[in-house]
Amino acid sequence: MSYACGGHDHTLSRRSMLGLLAGAAGGLLAPNVASALRSKQRQVLMIWLDGGMSQLESWDPKPGTDHGGPFRSIPTSIPGVHVSELLPFTAKRMHKLAVVRSMSTKDNSHSIGVGRMQRGDPVNRGVDYPYMGSAIAKLLDTGESGLPPYVWIKPGSSGFVAQDAGFLGGRYGALALGDGRPPTHIQGGVAAELEQARQDLRRAADARYAQARGEADVDAWEGCYDSALKLMKRKELFDEGAVSRADRERYGSHPLGRHLLQARRLVEAGVLFTKVTSFHWDTHADNFAMHQELMPQIDKPFAALIDDLDERGLLSNVVVLLMSEFGRTPKINQRWGRDHWPEAWSLALAGAGLKRGVVVGKTSPDGAFVDEAAYDVGSLFHTVYRAVGIDPQKTVYKHNGQALAIAREDMEPMKEVLA
Amino acid sequence: MIALAFAVALAMQDPASDAEFLRRATLDLSGTIPTSGQARAFLADPDGAKREKLIDRLMASPDYARRLEQAVTVMFLERRSGGKIPDAQWSDYLRKAFATNEPWDRIVRSMIAADGLDEDRPAMKLLADGANGEPHRMTNDIARLFLGRNLLCAQCHDHPSVKDYKQSEYMGLFAYLSLSKLQDDPKTKKAMLVETAPKGKTEYASVFSPAKKQQTGPKLAGGEEVEVPKSAGFRPREMLADALVRHPQFARNSVNRFWFLFMGRGLIHPLDYDHKANPPSDPALLETLTAEFVASGFDVRKLVRRIVAGAPYARTPLKPLSAEQMAWATMTATGNLDRLSKTHEGSKFSTRDYLSGKSSAAPSSLPDILKLFAAVFGNAEGEPEVGFQPSMTHALFLMNDRLVLDWLKPAEGNLVARLSRLTGDAVADELYLSVLTRMPTAVERKEVASYLERQGPKGLGDLAWALVASTEFRMNH
Repeated sequence: MSYACGGHDHTLSRRSMLGLLAGAAGGLLAPNVASALRSKQRQVLMIWLDGGMSQLESWDPKPGTDHGGPFRSIPTSIPGVHVSELLPFTAKRMHKLAVVRSMSTKDNSHSIGVGRMQRGDPVNRGVDYPYMGSAIAKLLDTGESGLPPYVWIKPGSSGFVAQDAGFLGGRYGALALGDGRPPTHIQGGVAAELEQARQDLRRAADARYAQARGEADVDAWEGCYDSALKLMKRKELFDEGAVSRADRERYGSHPLGRHLLQARRLVEAGVLFTKVTSFHWDTHADNFAMHQELMPQIDKPFAALIDDLDERGLLSNVVVLLMSEFGRTPKINQRWGRDHWPEAWSLALAGAGLKRGVVVGKTSPDGAFVDEAAYDVGSLFHTVYRAVGIDPQKTVYKHNGQALAIAREDMEPMKEVLA
Repeated sequence: MIALAFAVALAMQDPASDAEFLRRATLDLSGTIPTSGQARAFLADPDGAKREKLIDRLMASPDYARRLEQAVTVMFLERRSGGKIPDAQWSDYLRKAFATNEPWDRIVRSMIAADGLDEDRPAMKLLADGANGEPHRMTNDIARLFLGRNLLCAQCHDHPSVKDYKQSEYMGLFAYLSLSKLQDDPKTKKAMLVETAPKGKTEYASVFSPAKKQQTGPKLAGGEEVEVPKSAGFRPREMLADALVRHPQFARNSVNRFWFLFMGRGLIHPLDYDHKANPPSDPALLETLTAEFVASGFDVRKLVRRIVAGAPYARTPLKPLSAEQMAWATMTATGNLDRLSKTHEGSKFSTRDYLSGKSSAAPSSLPDILKLFAAVFGNAEGEPEVGFQPSMTHALFLMNDRLVLDWLKPAEGNLVARLSRLTGDAVADELYLSVLTRMPTAVERKEVASYLERQGPKGLGDLAWALVASTEFRMNH
């Protein structure tokens, strides 16, 4: 199964939305208009550094300690707060972020850890919980953007990843864009006039059929063509040629930079949940040289992204989340690497419903354990849900007659982070 | 409540016209739609018994076994492909079983008992690949697929809302399977579904009262606990296979699942929630069919015939085409089926590469095309296909896929080439009979003529596309 389409209700609300947009040719809205239009719909952008970014080479440096490594720390735009010198651009935007230095989670293997984290480490209820993207698609999608609710930009192959949806069912899966390439079959097969003509024929046939056989099936299938035709009209969203040279320079020409820029465009277009994955952060060997190479690929484009979202007024609608499945060991191994470390690590949040310029939690002087405000991933899910306006106390999934919590019932939101 | 509403809807459905019946029965019994020639012949046939004769003809064709194999494969393996047993070996085995009308209890018995050693090795696929050889997944699948009881919740505690589904039932079934595991045969290096020596009873406790330990030996619902003799030669899974096919719930669930394949909805629905609070929509009918099925020695042909020749079948509500039916019907409707290579020897086609845009070479052989349609229109792995779940990617595929668009260009013997040689109303008649198995209405004839007047002969492909892309085409009516 693949991205399913809205029925009649959605069509109606999408139409009224289109009416609103009709005056703005090509969707080129001034930033403030865009934000006014979308003031109600909250969105999420998740940046996933797969393999585990080192907290010590990023948000929680421990220079001068046994395990601190060679890099210095630098001041940030929050007085008194320092981050690694590998984050020079982001350091200047710290006053827009909420950084959590006290993540303490349970899994230290990638094979289980990625799924476990992205599902919010649910209690085993005998079902596969959805990934955050599918969960948000299920809980928040109104169909108003006319775009798929969960889009995943990643290196490698494209396709529809239904598995992410778990028990919610394939329709809430991810539309994966390998290397940000356009979705499969988005290129029009026939010329525009001909498309119009053949769609008119199809609609006429369906209208006659609906009269004879009822509207439900026709409506469902019609909604799919509607979504498909809308996506085909937004090909420019996937056209790298449409990106300005200045933006390309600000974000960088490496995959993560290009994918973050692509993500910004999808967020601007209204995609509800956008995920960007970058691999190769698993630095068991040569941790320092690798972070010296990798950190600029997130630092500069992440700073550009925060600026762009802020300038467009989108930072008050969009929750941005930058994280991995765990952090890395303070102890440096014999190959100058750092291994997996879920006990004490950091992540960053920014945007809707969140405080700006806060740093939460504290690790021990050697960075090995959390001293203050330990949070597990269940708390992160509570926080993100609250930030987008969902109350996990009042919202449950219903599955086969079973009520299932959307976030760990034994955990609380990160109150220091919520606005 | 839902069951009642369904029964009412069924009663109110108009009986199918000859054209509708022909399309429905052909899709259900041979997996594709009739050609325009077959449609003309059937519609013109004055024989009062022509529907029965049609059923006989369709069930005598080799397509019958292929269609049943595909439908049962999707139902049982739920789009899990690859693994220890190649997909083609399983399909061959199951198709032969349906072609020779092997009794259903024997087919299922071999699916449960097969350990990979004997000639029934392909039957091992259900547990080895469908359930990954994992005892809990085997327990869940056997309970769902053969007993119609979704015991998933009962693995850890009694079902919270279904009173009949107890943890003791789950654990009794699990006790038969807990000793099974996949292991490579040291000599042949082939994977086998072996069983280790019995170690006494299975212990368990509800997660709600973990201190209260309980134990059970192998046991089916309503039956007695059995003892597995310690002497060599006794295999619990074989004992389960024997006990399962004799369990009353097995025959009842089998009838319900075959009923679903032809009627689009089970007499008990959902198919795997057979319990006291979810009674069949027509209990007497289910009871009669079940008794007949057992008395016939689990004769699948007799059961299928009984269902499609019955009055309710002529009144079934719409049901969506499966991915396989969609593929066959599209190839038949556009007149391209005979033009395609039936084998894919030497084919390098990869569905994954094609759909991710890495390769633009469209598939050219029937097996590759079927794989592509299954990837586009089939559900995700592990999701049962029980309702109409259209998606945007289906629409994008029909609109823009190179293969589909090529089928709508004139080529020797295909629909558009045939249409281009016709004039007047004959164009619309042949188009509608070929794609929708019915004559066009006056309005539709007029629409075809006026479109061709505007677009010229190149408009024939658009007219055919619009019908293939329509809701009427996607639903078996």
